Amino acid sequence: MRRKKSRSVIPGFGISLGVTLTILSLIVLIPLCSLVVFSAKLSFSDFIRAVTGARVLSSYYVSISTALIASLINAVMGLILAWVLVRYDFPGKRLVDGIIELPFALPTAVAGISLTHLTTTNGWVGSFFYNIFGIKIAYTRIGITAALVFIGIPFVVRAVQPVLEKVDHECEEAAMLLGADPGTTFRKVIFPEILPAMISGFTLAFARSIGEYGSVVFIAGNTPYKTEIAPLMIMAQLQEYDYASATSIALVMLVIAFLILSVNAFLQSMAARRVSGLA
Amino acid sequence: MKTQKKGGAVKWILITICVIFLAVFLILPLIYILSTAFRDGISSYIKAVTDEYAVKAALLTLKATFFAVVINTIFGLFASWCICKFTFRGKKVLSTFIDLPVTVSPIIAGLIYILTFGRQSFLYPILDDMGIQIIFAVPGIILATIFVTFPFISRELIPVLTAQGTDEEEAAALMGANAFTIFKNITFPHIKWALLYGIVLCAARAMGEFGAVSVLSGHLRGKTNTLPLYIELLYQGYDFTGAFASSSILMIFAIIVLILRVILEQRGKKERG
Amino acid sequence: MEIQNSSSIELRGINKSFGSFQASKDINLTIQGGRLVALLGPSGSGKTTILRMIAGLEQPDSGEILIDGKVVNDVPGSERGIGFVFQSYALFRYMTVYDNIAFGLRVKRVPKKEVDSRVKELLKLIGCEGLEKRYPGQLSGGQRQRVAFARALAPNPRILLLDEPFAAIDAKIRLELRSWLREMITRLGITSIFVTHDQNEAIEVADDIIVTNEGRIEQSGSAAELYSSPRTPFVVKFIGNSVLVDNYYEFRSFSRAEADTVGVIRPEFVEIYKTSEDIRYSRSADEGYVRDIIFRGSSIEVKVDIHGNLISAIRSINDAPLEIGEKVWVFVYRMFLIGKDGVRLVENSALRENSIVI
Repeated sequence: MRRKKSRSVIPGFGISLGVTLTILSLIVLIPLCSLVVFSAKLSFSDFIRAVTGARVLSSYYVSISTALIASLINAVMGLILAWVLVRYDFPGKRLVDGIIELPFALPTAVAGISLTHLTTTNGWVGSFFYNIFGIKIAYTRIGITAALVFIGIPFVVRAVQPVLEKVDHECEEAAMLLGADPGTTFRKVIFPEILPAMISGFTLAFARSIGEYGSVVFIAGNTPYKTEIAPLMIMAQLQEYDYASATSIALVMLVIAFLILSVNAFLQSMAARRVSGLA
Repeated sequence: MKTQKKGGAVKWILITICVIFLAVFLILPLIYILSTAFRDGISSYIKAVTDEYAVKAALLTLKATFFAVVINTIFGLFASWCICKFTFRGKKVLSTFIDLPVTVSPIIAGLIYILTFGRQSFLYPILDDMGIQIIFAVPGIILATIFVTFPFISRELIPVLTAQGTDEEEAAALMGANAFTIFKNITFPHIKWALLYGIVLCAARAMGEFGAVSVLSGHLRGKTNTLPLYIELLYQGYDFTGAFASSSILMIFAIIVLILRVILEQRGKKERG
Repeated sequence: MEIQNSSSIELRGINKSFGSFQASKDINLTIQGGRLVALLGPSGSGKTTILRMIAGLEQPDSGEILIDGKVVNDVPGSERGIGFVFQSYALFRYMTVYDNIAFGLRVKRVPKKEVDSRVKELLKLIGCEGLEKRYPGQLSGGQRQRVAFARALAPNPRILLLDEPFAAIDAKIRLELRSWLREMITRLGITSIFVTHDQNEAIEVADDIIVTNEGRIEQSGSAAELYSSPRTPFVVKFIGNSVLVDNYYEFRSFSRAEADTVGVIRPEFVEIYKTSEDIRYSRSADEGYVRDIIFRGSSIEVKVDIHGNLISAIRSINDAPLEIGEKVWVFVYRMFLIGKDGVRLVENSALRENSIVI
């Protein structure tokens, strides 16, 4: 067939694709297939019962609402952080740049227990909010949101930062020379350029936050109907060896994650099309 | 620059917001970990981190990390070479599958291995006959660790290789160099810093993985407890000093990783520039 | 240094597509051994694809590539006896100049001593002695090109392929390098093909020019042939500084041919006179108005409006100066007419009557 004819001059395609596919299959594809196979064996009514239980439904609500709020906060803070890191010089900038990725590097459980202890009503931060505003952080949805802000912040910063670095200074200068004030220049010239990256960072943080477990499970307090997150519901079913229910809940979560990522992919391709002019 | 002067006030307001944000969310937890770990004095700290079960948990964590780094490095090198140096059908699908493990909840990652190797799987009797236990045992922990860090190295390599293009490799291939020579002499020098950083990041994540490992571990003290699981155990037993002492070890690794990242990035930039 | 033999190249019925884009459509060409040939065309005309297929960097969908009369479609690029200079030069950035040039010899397991003497010989040839320990990043654009050239030549190829060899170089050095490259290749006698979109470059450097457009070969021949007898409408328009004229029959001494014919006038076909100057063919000259005067350094380009067409003409620096808006006489010696059945060169009928050759 054509196969042989379309080969590249660079040798080593066969072996590299072979090794790639082998490892990918063993680690990712086969386990994913077993999820699909197992789901196919579920009866529809069992599936509905597992995913529409009141406790499960409220856990979806908790997971999605806290993840959404946290990701929105991250989108704004991530933009400000990226802006400050790219545009300004100040003492300690290298430190700030380095520490942004702490949430990637710090184990989630470690982050979880320390954030919990900081925000209990007698913790360093928690006591401040409790005594002055009467707000409890740990063991509430605010606490979950705070943990998800921690987890998600590098996603937005690292998505926006490189794009912001590449924004053409000449476009900005042109806008200035045409009489636009800095605010207008930002809104009309810079923001549209970095918006796709921001959306991409937001959705990545959002998808990650919905599935996050380690950092949230300690701070959440896990009160049924109030602060139980969806991954915890899977965990609970697994501990009872109820794989059918666990798989059902997982499937719903996977569908949600898939939808979020698809929306992002669609928005990205729209943005790319607009920039490249292929209408 | 004029624009900078004009935005002076804005600049410092924004910087202050960032510094406060980072101090509260990122730096305070670090300080808290250290202060709690040492609140009962150095000796109880040392006692906590040299506890028999703590050491065993740390060793298991290192073992899982080692396997994750080795497998993902091999995979990352082959996958990024394959994706960046060749055009073929299904490339996008392949990239999507490689990135998938990062977006899947760690709990679900654990779940899919239970479904693959658990009692209800058709693989179970076969593996059982051979005396191999995967879930609730060390192999499961290793597999889960590989899964959650799966794309970490390839993701670092792909942008570098894409930016480099294929001209140099084509030139070398036209002169008759074989795949190994091309990789070793032409491609590898471009990616060595990115690879090193990928390895470091992969190691950090592997050491700290909690959710997926928690699903697959049998939670057997001294046997299938990794360091993060051991921390959870201590925490739930209200041994906060012990929990934070063990945490401080992982935290130090995280900080080393961040410092290495800055150094490696600078090295890479300097060589490219 | 002599290259023992240089190969001939032949392409027969080559087609190549990238997805829905057809980059090569029925390409047939023959290049004799030892010639220096330019593949000239606008960007996207498929010239680089042809070069890459000869090198074995791409595989044609159909058709045959022959080197020295042998089909090489299934011969890998590394065994076709070619040297390739990439547009980006593709120098190995993490190797010194010396290692770059030596690479092709080392992978062929040439003994160390031979490698050394060959590299030194090439360094001398390209005038880069003393640079062997430098890395590509530490070289100027011109030096990089020379090193890329030396690297391609190191394994003694019988064909040299160059993809836009001057594209990445400053205008001034580019002129120098052009003559250097021409001299080098002529001295070595190696069959060489280079890709360019710059007609001046092709005319100056190449023995033969192959003009490509939209994946097809339009015409090939020497620069003089392409100039004097273009065979396709594209070549007429692409070569030279051509201006298309729809109402060519309104020019004096040119009569209407077919309904859908278009005239093409080049600056060298035109002479302009001040109204005060003596003019031999006053009856056949057209009235025009100067619209623009562009100083070209060694000459002056004048844009003249005649019958609603803006035609370029060249005037000597020594001629009496013109002014914008000035009325002038324009004598058109000849023009190309593009008709349904090809391209014709038509002379001003006044010249025929007087039988004067210019």
